[in-house]
Amino acid sequence: MNKTDKMLVGERTFCALLLVFSLAIFYLAYQISGFSSANSPGAFPIGVALVMILSAVKIAFELIGKARPDCSGWIDAARQFRLQHFPRRTLIFGLLAVLYLAAIQWASFYISTFFFLVLAIVYLRGGRVLNAAGVAVLLLTVIYLMFTLAFSVYLP
Amino acid sequence: MSDNFSYLLMAWSDPQLLMLTALGTFAGIYIGAIPGLSVTMAVSILVSFTFAWDVNDALALIVGIFIGGVYGGSRSAILLNIPGGPSSVATSFDGYPLAQQGEAGRAIGLSTVMSVVGGLVGTIVLASAAPMIGDLALKFAPRDYFLVAAIGLLLVGSLAEGSLAKGIFAAALGAIIGLVGMDPVTAEGRFTLGQVELMGGIHYVVLMIGLFGVAEVFYQLHNLDAPVKRQVVDKIIPSFAMVLKFLPLSIRTSIIGVVVGVLPGVGGDIAALMAYDHAKRTVKNPSKPFGKGAYEGLVAPETANSAAVGGAYVPMLTLGMPGDAVTAVIIGALVIHGLNPGPMLMVENPHIFYFTVGNLLLANIFLLIFGLMGIKLFAKFVEMPKAVLIPLILVLCVVGTYSINSSMTEVYWMLGFGVLGYLLKIFGFQMGPIILGAILGPLMDTSYRQAMSSAGDHPGELLQGLVTSPLSLILTSAVVLILLGNTPLLKKLKSKFSPASARG
Repeated sequence: MNKTDKMLVGERTFCALLLVFSLAIFYLAYQISGFSSANSPGAFPIGVALVMILSAVKIAFELIGKARPDCSGWIDAARQFRLQHFPRRTLIFGLLAVLYLAAIQWASFYISTFFFLVLAIVYLRGGRVLNAAGVAVLLLTVIYLMFTLAFSVYLP
Repeated sequence: MSDNFSYLLMAWSDPQLLMLTALGTFAGIYIGAIPGLSVTMAVSILVSFTFAWDVNDALALIVGIFIGGVYGGSRSAILLNIPGGPSSVATSFDGYPLAQQGEAGRAIGLSTVMSVVGGLVGTIVLASAAPMIGDLALKFAPRDYFLVAAIGLLLVGSLAEGSLAKGIFAAALGAIIGLVGMDPVTAEGRFTLGQVELMGGIHYVVLMIGLFGVAEVFYQLHNLDAPVKRQVVDKIIPSFAMVLKFLPLSIRTSIIGVVVGVLPGVGGDIAALMAYDHAKRTVKNPSKPFGKGAYEGLVAPETANSAAVGGAYVPMLTLGMPGDAVTAVIIGALVIHGLNPGPMLMVENPHIFYFTVGNLLLANIFLLIFGLMGIKLFAKFVEMPKAVLIPLILVLCVVGTYSINSSMTEVYWMLGFGVLGYLLKIFGFQMGPIILGAILGPLMDTSYRQAMSSAGDHPGELLQGLVTSPLSLILTSAVVLILLGNTPLLKKLKSKFSPASARG
């Protein structure tokens, strides 16, 4: 077996989740019309779900022979996974994105977008609020000109 | 005939279409060049804004962005060693070493001219092959459509980076997402979890914006602090002798690009890598060693990825199957404008075909003009701070998704798909197969059920049809060969019958 490839942190858990997800999809596909006929609305979805299960099993088998990541136990693996793929910057930006979407519904699109752009630019660039506000106003003007006047699309 | 000719020249003679094509090509070059902004992302977001437009106006802008975007990626590959998109990865192998040697200007100039050569070859093949394939497609039985779609999904899974299993899983996941909603025959809910909002299905542009826009936003957050490398760019118009020298290679690699582009589901990224490999194997005396600034290593991928654009239109216009991710979005645009891509498009709306051919030719002319000028402006533009670009992309994703159905629920879906795409990307899954699965899945479902109905609900009869009809037999053989080609069985057979093992 080739031991040179290294497993990614959390890869085994992710594979297990893929398999569970595929089984759930199979269950939902079966719920449509069972195995009533080869031409039923659920026949093709069942086939696709089976393909998902088989490929999820194959993906899991591909992990055999790979070297394990350098972590001690589940808690350490979860910590490393979070640090590698969901560092503070990603989490805060993700939180800003969710708050932005929520704010669009009760504040107007332009106001929420202005605050989202200012906060995101200030956070990602590190400081300079006035500069970020200027950039946000400029971008909002471009958005207004492009989407309201040129494209005539409905904004949230 | 004269009607077709007038459709061909429509974009050339109508000032508005001319301007939209020019604008699209210009914008495409810049969008494609910005690392993190892909042509697929741009077209996905843009399509949602052009739903209310006249179909010709929308197509003119999209064609321009497509042509410009595929080329634009090469500029950042040459200047920054950061490919603007997957189809420019091979360009950076020799393009960046050339820039480091002070030849960035010449490399950009040559890549521009060669992209145009590739684009023109691709368009000529589209113009000549599509009507023939369209006629053949009229003879396709539903099972043949099913098989062509299966070939597309298998190819995109097997030729893409990573494992075939991951490619197939991604395509199947896409198919399930595409099947969400009411069954078109019985109106029964499928994968709706009892939610009324899901009965209408999930619009795949929502999925695309999430996977290509939001997932990329999260991915780019990791590269926020990467320093920008600047290059000296001087004379960029290549000499005629230089163009002539590389013309034979460019024609060969254009043909590779077109052939790969024609295959459903496989696009410019694979074409560029295959062309680079072809150049490496066939050019005995390159201008410099490959990987160290060989012009041949720049010419081959650039012609191939541009030629693949014309190729990708062939299955889209004749079979209604996307040649790559961008044509998948264009199918959506055509459907929303009341057109039905597939064999009947050539019969019912031939003007769309001739208009597209004329528009592709025009966009290539604009590419030549815009590609050879404005380098200084370009250099400033690609240096746009990511801290500004990333939030802006997210806002555009929100606006683009909302404009499809004026639904905030879809905006939340888009964000969810973005997070899912980010997770899948971390573990080496490609986004392309998911999109193609979402488009081809419902089409395969319909074809499968039509084929099963015509076989009287007898699976045995359907299987018999797969081997008794010559066309179905060819397609079935292709499916089997692709599957066998990706199993250890083929490797075992190869090693068993190889001369070395025979001697042993």
